[in-house]
Amino acid sequence: MSMSTADEISTLLTANFGTDPVAIRPDVPLRQLRLDSLALEELRLLIEDRLDVDLDDVQLTSRDTVGQLVEAVHRKAAA
Amino acid sequence: MTAPYRLPPFAAAVTGIGLVTSAGIGADATWRALNDPAAAPCVPHRDELRGLPCDFMYSVTGLDTRAVLGVAAHRLMDRFSHLAVIAAREAVADAGLDPAVWDSGRVAVVIGSAHGGLPFYDEQHTALTERGARRVSPKLAPLAVVNGAASSVATDLGARGPSQAVSTACSSGTVAIGTAHQMLRTGACDIVVAGGAESVCSRLLIASACRLKAVSTRIDDPQAACRPFDTHRDGFVVGEGAGLLVMERPEHARARGAAVRAHVAGYGSSSDAYSAVAPDPDGLGIERALRTALADAGAGPADIGHVNAHGTSTVSNDLIEAVMLRRVLGEHPLVTSTKAMTGHTLGAAGGIETALTVLALQHQLVPPTVNLDAPDPDIPVDVVSKEARPAVFDAAVKTSLGFGGHNAALVLTR
Repeated sequence: MSMSTADEISTLLTANFGTDPVAIRPDVPLRQLRLDSLALEELRLLIEDRLDVDLDDVQLTSRDTVGQLVEAVHRKAAA
Repeated sequence: MTAPYRLPPFAAAVTGIGLVTSAGIGADATWRALNDPAAAPCVPHRDELRGLPCDFMYSVTGLDTRAVLGVAAHRLMDRFSHLAVIAAREAVADAGLDPAVWDSGRVAVVIGSAHGGLPFYDEQHTALTERGARRVSPKLAPLAVVNGAASSVATDLGARGPSQAVSTACSSGTVAIGTAHQMLRTGACDIVVAGGAESVCSRLLIASACRLKAVSTRIDDPQAACRPFDTHRDGFVVGEGAGLLVMERPEHARARGAAVRAHVAGYGSSSDAYSAVAPDPDGLGIERALRTALADAGAGPADIGHVNAHGTSTVSNDLIEAVMLRRVLGEHPLVTSTKAMTGHTLGAAGGIETALTVLALQHQLVPPTVNLDAPDPDIPVDVVSKEARPAVFDAAVKTSLGFGGHNAALVLTR
């Protein structure tokens, strides 16, 4: 069974940013995970490569929550 | 009989050293390897360089930089910065300093690098041409710059005084230490972490160096390729690594009861104003730098017992440098080129080799120039070969020359 989008993003965060998996919850803002503007752009590339989606027109800010990010990726994957 | 050497009015105290080289991880490991007749240079063929006339380089192996630094910090640095931070941590610990309690605004960082994150540029240029602009990493612009090592070390240590990069090609590390010496002398800071860092396994750079005929093409025997002062030398071999010193104002080191490994007593620099590549054929530029450093240190030729030479293993550098050393210092100093074990680490070379000169002073031991099997009869200085040679000396010299005619020299004393 393939991983869910949330699991994929969680794995990327843990492996590439050293994020504590316990801290990755849907309601947590990305800035709370210490994801600054550079990290968000890096994450965007990683998600695009991993999930084969185009997030070019997705606005990402560190105020967004993990849940909002997952939802945005879902929407683009379904489009 | 000459008068005993006395330190000049200002001499910076060297209280810590940190080394990451292909010869060893850490100052002790590197020093042991340099003086171990059974140790062999670590010069593997590299996949990145496959097909080039020179496909090998001195490489730092057995070091998991990601594990040492942690994932979060590791991703925000290029490899040359990884090596710098690891060397800086060792140097600061060696000096007995605790960044949690030091006066951080009085701690400076000066790190030399010739090429910064060049391999990252290589990689991302490939991404750009093969996959388009949107696949280029946002990290390239902030991390691959030459100042990356200085900013990474300052961030890692919490050093909030002046921080800067020095880029004078292959003399960068030596100029960084000279710059640190001047900063301490003017009172701009109390402590400086200074030296050099480089990691350039770059297909682009090595291809160019091959075209320039500057690097050895002894592809069947890479371990023997770097042979400074040898009759059969045919070019340098690129290495990677970092070498950093903790330098302090002497009264600062004294006040905290620090053990002083050595002193940086004098510094000189000069420009050949001659060529983008070749050194002044008469060595007049490096001679000016060396004479300035000697005058700065209040030292005469008789005081200098050892020279850690630039000694790149190119035909012209080694001859020009050796003739100059004989002219300025005479025939008595024991000369070595440790590049035969560490490779030519370009912007890091001055940092690594100054740290090794500090160790030579402390141990009263001159490490050998390995691979020196057939000394060039035109080299008019006493080059230590094969085995380390014990000696008694109070002062030593480090010389560096860089593409573009950037020369630098340091006088180090006990």
